[in-house]
Amino acid sequence: MTYLLLFIPFAILILINLFPREKRTEPAFWLGLAVLVFQAGAVVASQFGYWGTILTSQLESVFGFNLQLYKMGHVLVMASALAGATALLVARATLKNKRDRFNFVGLLLVSLIGINGIAMVTDIFTLYIFIEVTALATFILIMLNREQAAFEGAFKYLIMSVVATVLMLAAVSLFILIGGGTSFLDVKMAVISDPLAYTALLLFLCGLFIKGGMVPFHGWLPDAYSSAPTAVSVWLAGIVTKASGIYALIRLMVIFGGLEPLQNIMLTVGAASIVIGALAALGQKELKRLLAYSSISQMGYIVIALGSGTVLGIFAALFHFFNHTLFKATLFANVAAVEEQTGTQEMEKLGGLAQKMPITGLTSAIASLSTAGLPPLSGFWSKLLIIIALWISGHYFFAAVAVLASVVTLAYFLLLQRQAFFGLVPAALKEVREAGPILLIPAVFLSLLIVVIGLVFPFMIQMVLR
Amino acid sequence: MILEFSFRFDQFSIFIASSIAIFTLLIGLYALIFMKGNRASGQFLVYFFLNCFFAIGAVLANNLILLLFFWESLLLTMFGMIMVGGRESYKTAIKAFIIIGITDLCMMVGIALTGQLAGTFTMSAISVSTAGLGGFAFIMLMIGALAKAGAMPFHTWIPDAASDAPLPFMALIPGALEKLIGIYFLTRVSLELFKIEPASWASLLLMIVGAVTIIFAVLMALIQKDFKKLLSYHAISQVGYMVLGIGTALPVGIIGGLFHMINNALYKSCLFLTGGAVEKEAGTTDLTKLGGLAWQMPVTFACFVVAALSISGVPPFNGFFSKELVYDGALERGWIFYAVAVAGSFFTAASFLKLGHAAFLGRSDTKSKEAPWPMLLPMVVIAAACIIFGVYNTLPIDRIIAPILGSHALEGHKFSGLPANMFLVLMTLIVLAGAVLNHLYGVKKSGKAIGAADHIHYAPVMHSLYDRAEKKIFDPYEIGMKLANVAARILYGIDRFVDWFYEVFTVRIVLLFTSLIKWAHSGNISTYVIWSLVGSIAVLVMAWR
Repeated sequence: MTYLLLFIPFAILILINLFPREKRTEPAFWLGLAVLVFQAGAVVASQFGYWGTILTSQLESVFGFNLQLYKMGHVLVMASALAGATALLVARATLKNKRDRFNFVGLLLVSLIGINGIAMVTDIFTLYIFIEVTALATFILIMLNREQAAFEGAFKYLIMSVVATVLMLAAVSLFILIGGGTSFLDVKMAVISDPLAYTALLLFLCGLFIKGGMVPFHGWLPDAYSSAPTAVSVWLAGIVTKASGIYALIRLMVIFGGLEPLQNIMLTVGAASIVIGALAALGQKELKRLLAYSSISQMGYIVIALGSGTVLGIFAALFHFFNHTLFKATLFANVAAVEEQTGTQEMEKLGGLAQKMPITGLTSAIASLSTAGLPPLSGFWSKLLIIIALWISGHYFFAAVAVLASVVTLAYFLLLQRQAFFGLVPAALKEVREAGPILLIPAVFLSLLIVVIGLVFPFMIQMVLR
Repeated sequence: MILEFSFRFDQFSIFIASSIAIFTLLIGLYALIFMKGNRASGQFLVYFFLNCFFAIGAVLANNLILLLFFWESLLLTMFGMIMVGGRESYKTAIKAFIIIGITDLCMMVGIALTGQLAGTFTMSAISVSTAGLGGFAFIMLMIGALAKAGAMPFHTWIPDAASDAPLPFMALIPGALEKLIGIYFLTRVSLELFKIEPASWASLLLMIVGAVTIIFAVLMALIQKDFKKLLSYHAISQVGYMVLGIGTALPVGIIGGLFHMINNALYKSCLFLTGGAVEKEAGTTDLTKLGGLAWQMPVTFACFVVAALSISGVPPFNGFFSKELVYDGALERGWIFYAVAVAGSFFTAASFLKLGHAAFLGRSDTKSKEAPWPMLLPMVVIAAACIIFGVYNTLPIDRIIAPILGSHALEGHKFSGLPANMFLVLMTLIVLAGAVLNHLYGVKKSGKAIGAADHIHYAPVMHSLYDRAEKKIFDPYEIGMKLANVAARILYGIDRFVDWFYEVFTVRIVLLFTSLIKWAHSGNISTYVIWSLVGSIAVLVMAWR
């Protein structure tokens, strides 16, 4: 069953290339969507209510080897299904070139194989392989529309990824040199006993920081996000960066979370990302660039939660990981709608769009407020848990940073809402109409999820705790 | 038991309660005519009779909390009655409300403390000493009582109300009723709840308040050029005699103070009623425009003369006898209090000579006729009472006032009849003769009746003091308002600073950092790679430290 998650995308990838060249775009889209729906369905069917199991079953065996890794993987698989479906729909609406649309599906399936692999690996070398698979498809995705800026963005991502690859590959080879094995168990043994292995682990973590775009390893991220086609941005922000960087970090911190220096590193890097990402977002003039910096800031929340070194922190990090997919995919879908209807994504040229595009306005408001952590939306609960985890583990300063930064988060999202969706409609946008259903369906579906999860979560956690 | 609906019917409370009822009846009759044609007359009469109800409740209550309930309710009816006076009267209404409200608040504190110290709120069971916290409680209760009675420095709303509120209000409330309940409560507090001794600081404090009130209010009255305003300052000044008398804590002073209370209620309401009749018929109370009314309104004039002679302390009217008793008590406690009281008498007589001369004698510019009988009747009844209480002073003193103190306190003395101390009577007569001479001198010097007090008004030192008082520099309300204004400005400044801190300072700091970060993100890939490498080194350093 597990390996189906790797084989099915692979099989579909071959299948869509068997169709005749002129007629293959439509079947590719539907088959790609089918893969993602299957993935989501598999998660829902196999493990109903996995949030609870993570929380309860881990209470006994904290950071032991016998962890619910597989169940953690479900979060990633589910998130990738949601973000992938959104990206496919956005691509269908925004990519004008038939060939681009077909290529998009193919590349998405390749990176999906990588992401599904990351979800189920049990050794560090395989982890590295799947990260590289994902990255490979992503380079090409960024320059899908063959524009100058996109090349630049992809190039920066490539260069930085190479640095990451060097670091990670060095780490892996050190592990092989020392321990003779690269499974997480072997690595753990080696790290505890050998300072060189410890250093290797740190190098690997630095590689993951680059992949995840954490401050100060984040230089590539805003350029890549904003220069890529919006459909690709959905995919990048929604899952790729997080799967190859952040999810891997969560995996490793589940194993090594007890090491205090690592916790301190996580706290520092997380806090720096939160603050600098949020402050930088405040000064942006383009929607996608703002969302890119916002992503850095939100990733910071996940990493800072890992630094708490508690089970609650891991749970909160995973929960925020999932929520971030929901709200960031919604927001990028909204950006796609705005760009499609108005032809621009510069905030100064926009205004009053909530009147012209009510559904886009509403969903972006919901997603923004969820990001800023306003109750009763889902983002509130994950941020609350993160802050609680920091507080009870005694990291009062970082808890305060997390709280204060969410004020800045609210500030830049209010700025976005005010400039793009509220106020007066500029003369150039008088004729703007609501986007088509293909762009609205994912936005509406994801914001519904945000609201429902936000409303149901208190009851769910009560059930779990009882 | 904190709150119980217990009432007390002893000599004192029954006397005060029935006086309140009688005054309300008489002045109510007057008000029916006076307020005719006034848009708000119905509203006024509602407050007027409600006021009577609350006042009687306050007097009869035997529980401090119950008393407080009635006492505070008086504040509302008072506010309402001033409010209906006219378009501009709301300012005075608010002023009165704030002054009385704050002093009532003090009284509330005093009641709570007294109840705590005594362990009960039942007035007849309370006995507290004025030492320590008890002294504070006494002062708080005293502030409430004195403010109600209109003693200094809680008096400043009364002259303002004289020009703004309807006249029946002035005749009843500051003229009679508030004196009755204020002095009633003061007596209860000083003689029953705390039992102050003649030698105590509490007694001295009361006497000082009394003396100060007498002299300063009467000096202000002397220079007034408006019938009602002049009377209103006397309404303040006369309280001083009562407070002084009760403050002596001697039987003779207390009986004098209480007797003066009832006498003052009589002649002061009578004077206000004559003022109302003049206002109604002549259309103004401005003394510079009035004159020669004696022949046009003979009954009013007669009542005015009786009441004026009473208030000036001319024998054999009632004011003479009560003042003699107060003088007696004051002289026993210290010559200075006596001197102040006698000086107050001098200026009282002088100001009423001036008032009567300016309003009723001299040349008439206006054609006025006598007031209708429902307005005359209360005046005549009250004026008659002034004479009866003077000539037959045995009746009120022996039958009503002396039993309040109880026979053992009197030690066999008899206070009714002719004054015992003939020296005091002589002094009073000399002072009154002096007042007449002074009046004649003033009229001759200025050439008109209204200027009879000008030589005092424009005397070297007095002139500047009067100027400041007229500008309300000594008014605690105005001072309080100015202080409140300053405090409000300071708080406003703090508020602006907090606002600036959040809305300008924080935002500027944040935007500064934002622009710094934006500047750092130059888009140069080599910079970014260097950042990553520096970051990696930092991670290693952190882990190995």
